[in-house]
Amino acid sequence: MAEAGRKLSLAVWVWVLIAGLAAFELVVHPLIRAAIPSDESWEAASTFVRAHYQPTDRIVAAPSWADPIVRGHLGDLISLRAAAPSDLAGFDRVWELGIRDATTWDELPAVEEDFDGVRVRMWPVSTDEVVYDFVEEVEHARVELVGTDELQACPWVSARPARGGLGQGPMTPPERFVCDPRRPWLWVGATVLADLELQPRRCIWQHPAGTEPVRVTFPNAPLGKRLVIHGGIDYNNERRRAYSPVTLRVWIDDRLAGELVHHDGDGWSSIDIDTSELGLDRATVRFETTTKDPRAKARFFCWAASTQTASNR
Amino acid sequence: MSDARASKGRDHLIGASLCVAYVLLLMGTAPDLAMSRDESFYVHAAKNYSSWVTQLFTDPLSAFERDSIDQAWSYNWEHPALMKLSFACSWLAQKHLRLFPSESLAFRFPGMLTAGLLLWLIYAWGASVMRRQGALFAALAFALMPRVFYHSHLASFDVPIAFFVTLTAYTYWRALADRRWVPLVGLAFGLALATKHNSWILPAIFLIHFIWVRRDETHADRIEHSSIAWLPSMLILGPLVAIGTWPWLWHDTWGRVLAYVTFHIRHVHYTYEYLGVSYFEPPLPLSVPFVMTLFTVSLTVLVLSLIGLYYRRGEFRPPRWTKEGDITDRKADVLWLGCMLAPLLAIALPTTPIFGGTKHWITAYPFLALFAGWGLLAVTEKAELGMWAGRRWPQWGFAAFCLLPSAMETAHSHPFGLSHYTPVVGGVPGAADLGMNRQFWGFTTGSLAKWFTEKLPEGGSVWTCDTTAGAWAMMQRDGSIPSNIQSAASMSSADFVLVHHEPHFNEVDYQAWVAYGTVQPAFVLRYEGVPIISVYENPARDD
Repeated sequence: MAEAGRKLSLAVWVWVLIAGLAAFELVVHPLIRAAIPSDESWEAASTFVRAHYQPTDRIVAAPSWADPIVRGHLGDLISLRAAAPSDLAGFDRVWELGIRDATTWDELPAVEEDFDGVRVRMWPVSTDEVVYDFVEEVEHARVELVGTDELQACPWVSARPARGGLGQGPMTPPERFVCDPRRPWLWVGATVLADLELQPRRCIWQHPAGTEPVRVTFPNAPLGKRLVIHGGIDYNNERRRAYSPVTLRVWIDDRLAGELVHHDGDGWSSIDIDTSELGLDRATVRFETTTKDPRAKARFFCWAASTQTASNR
Repeated sequence: MSDARASKGRDHLIGASLCVAYVLLLMGTAPDLAMSRDESFYVHAAKNYSSWVTQLFTDPLSAFERDSIDQAWSYNWEHPALMKLSFACSWLAQKHLRLFPSESLAFRFPGMLTAGLLLWLIYAWGASVMRRQGALFAALAFALMPRVFYHSHLASFDVPIAFFVTLTAYTYWRALADRRWVPLVGLAFGLALATKHNSWILPAIFLIHFIWVRRDETHADRIEHSSIAWLPSMLILGPLVAIGTWPWLWHDTWGRVLAYVTFHIRHVHYTYEYLGVSYFEPPLPLSVPFVMTLFTVSLTVLVLSLIGLYYRRGEFRPPRWTKEGDITDRKADVLWLGCMLAPLLAIALPTTPIFGGTKHWITAYPFLALFAGWGLLAVTEKAELGMWAGRRWPQWGFAAFCLLPSAMETAHSHPFGLSHYTPVVGGVPGAADLGMNRQFWGFTTGSLAKWFTEKLPEGGSVWTCDTTAGAWAMMQRDGSIPSNIQSAASMSSADFVLVHHEPHFNEVDYQAWVAYGTVQPAFVLRYEGVPIISVYENPARDD
């Protein structure tokens, strides 16, 4: 009898467990839906940020998957550079619109407001000031294809952008330097790269042509205390870790100042060149890309650089 | 062997009712779902095949010539023909008889029919070995899995192969006791082969099961043994049916069979996001099919399946434990376990190409549902629920209560079936936090049809991202998108650009930013608060 009673008791407990699971699912499902912030919450949070926004602010979403929602509300305040930064240089404050207690920052914020599920937080950031952003100034550069005997100038043209699509790599901008129409990838211009981590990077596309350099020259570029250079290769190409490295050589007034050798797998990598000792306010800065593979296969290389100086703000 | 109850007319009436009700439900909800990427390819193939079918009646001699066959059947040669042929026939019927309210429904109907038939089969098989309540629960538990519900709508192969795999397993099981079923095993296997390559693993599952049964019989010292006649039936009739329904293989048969097999063995890897990592080459983590099942099937049903497995544990007793004179049977539970585990393990193998989606192991779910049926019976019987008030309603009430979460989740998953996740993972936002695949195939574009219709009253163009031009054209033919809103080939020439949110589509998002010089979408389609599609408006477009 005792055994039967024990078994019955266990069976009833299992029954209760199953009923409890079903109840759990039935209750939790609407709770999950109820916790989703409304459009009104997003709108109120966005209105608050918009009221306090300054041009040197950066706006981010937490968690990152909410980014399209934040851009939908505040995208007019987010430049391509702010949406796809290489570093935080030039930004004074970071605004975060977060849900589900997610955050991008561990420190205590200077401002925190809650809008019925959408939390707005702001942090002042101490970063260097950008003196000259090469990406934003690319149309003022001179672009050449360096051959064994001659330099071939690449004209700045309005040309048809790419169609777009999965696996197509960064979008060709409507205006760019075109070096060889027979090699449609041989152009130079500002675009946005999906790096190895699929993060957006505002950068200058400069696909190497092989061992002979593709050269981009910025005459009379203002210098600061440092020249910070980042580079990476399109996610689709780099993730296979199958191709030759790309070398980006940087020349300041015809002197080799630095070299970024990018191997597949490096991701968005960087070098930092100290220019404070040069004693120059301005200089001609030249960027050359090469790769050992003469076919230059799938080297969707893109770089960003800026001259920076300590912020006075 | 008499380990099964013969199905009665009442059983088939219930099964047929399930079938009809489910097909009607699918037909009623299909207009909400735009055609998926793969469907658009199969529609294109089916139209080609329909030309050949027409030729078969008008000029039969030339229809068998290689040129005619190659012209009609070379498109989408990498998948067998049966379902595409059925889509073609359904479309021909639509052309001549106007049976369906929309063209897409004509193509989708055969797939929906297999979904309905599968419910009938789950119920019938279940009812032959367990109480009807358990069998009915199993059929409904399967029907109400959100992802099964989504795939059941499609002109695709995944639910059809689940049906034909289950049918083959059923005929094999019947053939063990009744030789009249032997030819049907071969026929069913042939239809499975002619549907999708998931069927390739069936002989191995059956062989393991058969050895189990035979050893059991030997240990029990039975005089009569189960016949292996099913095996030659499968190996001879199966390929004959598969080749017979696939004209592409009628010329250069070996070369083309080899190409077909090689295509799937060396299949291209799909990029698939799982726990925050976008996998693009093997190995996919071993846990993928199991965790995805946990995250997409009602927890109540899953736990009932585990209870069912535990409840039936005696049936998994190794044959060596069988003693002389013991009663043996056809080990339906062992067969179900094999059919449930094999697809999950096949996907989990580190050498398997990356497919990702739950549809690739959907053939496991009818058997998972059958074990859930056992689980339900175990719980209600052991808890002596039937004794309450001396009536049966508490048992039925409990069964219905256990199905409610599935029903609620399935209702809510529509029309975002592939984006849906259960409360176990925190629903869709919880899955997004964990970095789980959000969608594939571009079918969610259908949810924007009204938005585009309002935004482009004078017509225009949309760059449709993962939605193919064929899928878009079907939306136009169905009337959900006006014919003057075209699918654009290039972002720069489009009025709007779509971006389907999956991490490896980030590059497309960034392309749109550069093409339009803005990061601000004009609209973000969300499901449970999670972005599904961003729509960008071309600043150069005429208002």
